[in-house]
Order: sequence, then C-alpha cells, then structure tokens
Amino acid sequence: MKKVGIGIITYLVFIILYFLQTNFFSWFTIGGVSPNLFIIFAIFLGLFTNNYFAIVMSVIMGLTIDFEIGKQFVGPTAIMLTIISILVSYLDKNFSKDSKITILLLVSLGTIVFEIGLYGLNIFVFKYTSEMSTFLKILAVEVAYNIVLTYVLYNLIRKIGSKIERMFKEKHLLTRYF
Amino acid sequence: MYKAKHAGIISTIVIIIVLVLLVFLTNVDVKNLSYAQSISTSFIRPVQNGFNYLGNKLKGNDAFFVDLNTLRKENEELKNKNSKLEEQLRELEIIKAQNASLQEYSVLKDKYANYESIPADIIDRDFSNFGSQLVLNIGKKQGVEVGMTVIAEAGLVGNVVSCTNTSSTVQVIVDASSSVSAMITTSSEGIICKGSIDNNSELRATYIDTSSEVLVGDTVVTSGIGGIYPKGITIGTIKEVVNTNNLTDRYAVIETAVDFSKLYTVLVIKN
Repeated sequence: MKKVGIGIITYLVFIILYFLQTNFFSWFTIGGVSPNLFIIFAIFLGLFTNNYFAIVMSVIMGLTIDFEIGKQFVGPTAIMLTIISILVSYLDKNFSKDSKITILLLVSLGTIVFEIGLYGLNIFVFKYTSEMSTFLKILAVEVAYNIVLTYVLYNLIRKIGSKIERMFKEKHLLTRYF
Repeated sequence: MYKAKHAGIISTIVIIIVLVLLVFLTNVDVKNLSYAQSISTSFIRPVQNGFNYLGNKLKGNDAFFVDLNTLRKENEELKNKNSKLEEQLRELEIIKAQNASLQEYSVLKDKYANYESIPADIIDRDFSNFGSQLVLNIGKKQGVEVGMTVIAEAGLVGNVVSCTNTSSTVQVIVDASSSVSAMITTSSEGIICKGSIDNNSELRATYIDTSSEVLVGDTVVTSGIGGIYPKGITIGTIKEVVNTNNLTDRYAVIETAVDFSKLYTVLVIKN
C-alpha cells in the first residue's frame, strides 16, 4: 500500500517534471539544447528504489511521453528509460551512490545511452538522416547540462533518495556491507 | 502580650494624627496655604498634565478604533470590488485572446480559401533535442485524419502523423525525418527539402538538377508530388547555395517561411 502511494507521488513528480521540461526548459537552453529531466529522474529511481519499482515507473513515464508527443509508434522513450533504470540498478550494486562523482558519471552514462538509443531508433524506424557530428555536438551539450543540473540538485536528490530508499529497503539486510 | 500592647498604642497614635490633620485642614483658610499649594502643584501639575494628555490620547484612540472599524468595512468592500474588477479583466483578456485567435483563423481561412480547413491551437511541443513534433488540440472528433496537411499564415507547417479523438501529432517540415517534394518558383525546378536535427528554421534542399540555376532569395513552394502536400504552399526562401566538388551533391539552405518558435495557431487542410 505504501509503495502504491509512493508510485502515485512519483507519477505526480513526473507530471511536474513534464511541465518543467516542455515549458521552462524549452527556452532555458544552452545553445538551443535543453537538458533531459526524465533521464535524471529515471536514474534517481534506479538508484534509490528497487528494480521492480524503477522499471514499472520508467515504463509508465516513457509511455506517457510517447503518447503525448510520440510519432507513429509508441514505445521508444519507454524502452530507453527502462534500459537506463535497469542499467543504473545494476551499477548501483557495484558502485557507492554516496559519492557525488558516481552519480554524475551515472547521469552522463545514462544520457549517452538514452540519446544514442533513441537516435538509433529514429534512424532505423523514421529514416532520420544520419548527422553524426551534429548529433555528437548536441549530445555533448546535453550531457554537460544534465551534469550541471544534477550537481545543483545533488543534496536534494541524496536527501529525498535516502528517505525513499529506507522505505523500500528497510526490511532487507544490505549484505554487500558484510 | 507585649506586642499587642504596643500595637494598640501605635494605632491610637495614628488615629490621633489623622484626626488632627483632618481638623486642621478643614478649618484653615486655603489662601493662607498658597505658598504650600504652589510648592505642591509645581510637583503634581506636570504629572497630572501628563495623565490628562494620556487620557485625551486614549479618548482620541477610541475614536481611532471606531474609525478603524469603518475603514475595515470600507477595505472589505474595496477588496470585493477589486476582485470583481480583476475577474472582469481576466474575462476581458480571455476574450481578447480568443478574438486574436479568431482573427488569425480568419486571415488563414481567407488566404487558403480554396481548401476546406479546421483551425487548431498548438498545445504541446516535442521537448527532445532531436525531434520537432507539435500536438494540436483537435483530433478525430473534429475530422482530423493521419496524412492531412497543416499550414500556418506564412506557409507550410507539416502533416498529421497520428491522432486521437481529441488531439493530433504533427510532424513539422524541419523534423529530421521529414522530406517535402518542392519546387523553386522562378525556375519551376523540382527539389527535395529535408529537415535536420540541429536547426528548427532551416531545411536542406537536395537533388538539385545540375543544369538548373538556383539563386539566393528564390521562393520554394510545395510541388504537389508525393500525395501528402497540396501544390503551391509556401515553404520558404533560399538562403544559401552550397556548391561542392561534385555538382550533383550541391545543396541549398532554405529558411522556412514559418517561424516555428512563435507558432501557436494553424489550419489543418481536410481536402
């Protein structure tokens, strides 16, 4: 029941992020490139909640985005967000999230994986013209922007993340520390 | 016993003193005490004046409190009036915005009178750095179907790629997956205009005939070939011609007629 509540709150946070992304960050850009709040959010979920919850929420969030602004077929954003949350959940077992550097690196990696995957899908499905140099330029700016945002929000992310983590993992022994 | 005896003596003395004083004060002419009175008043009067001043002030304050109640009532009434006026102002602004939209629709309808069209507002935009879709506030219920052309006052916007009952998604011509069959108005040469991922106001014109002369400033319109877009809708003007070593690879940069960053109202062409 508690997890359902957290799920609803998570979705409401996602809706707020959606409005921020589509309104505020549509003009608050670096050289016309906006950050991707959903990648940061999916990484946050992957790090501080359990695998199952992170994957379900990523699918729901991705599908919502695809329904709202997607093209002919639904799913690319959902697929990529899910891959990120799985990847982060896996890496969380091997790296300490107490380090700021680790989280910043995860955000960089998540952004790169997400955008390459989505661009690849667009080339494959929608016959996008391959413009690698332009793509890499945009990707570099987006990664930098996401890192800056995460750095600014780090303390908030850690604080809220720890609380959520306690709710999810309170009954489990963290065996990796033994 | 000793204490009780002394207490009785003291009280008796006090009573006697008070009595003597009373007798004295009630029988002596006040005029004879003017010097004593002046000494007394010089101490007491300023204090008394102070108390009088405070008393008057308090009386004034009382009036102030009465006024405050009236002011509160007036303030409430003014607040109510103000909120009503603000509400009216908001309604007026909504009416003004609707009027502006209707005027835009009217201009659009007049310009594209040959086409049966449905006016629409843009309610959402693709936020990704690699796509350029728009979401309109009309869908199947209003008669929108996939493949319909979307135009604005300045020219071509794109075509509908998906629609629900109440909304539809438009792939704009500057999207990286968009290709529009077009022609240059001055030479009637056919070209293909493709979008790119890095610019939302430019298209790249390819497949330019090696023998054709392309000039900066030429207008580009839809050719009608391909079956998606009707013929003759303005796409933009040629901004730059980029010549390469191989003449077949040369391309032109087209500046779109529509400013997509300031686009809020469009028409969906039904026929």
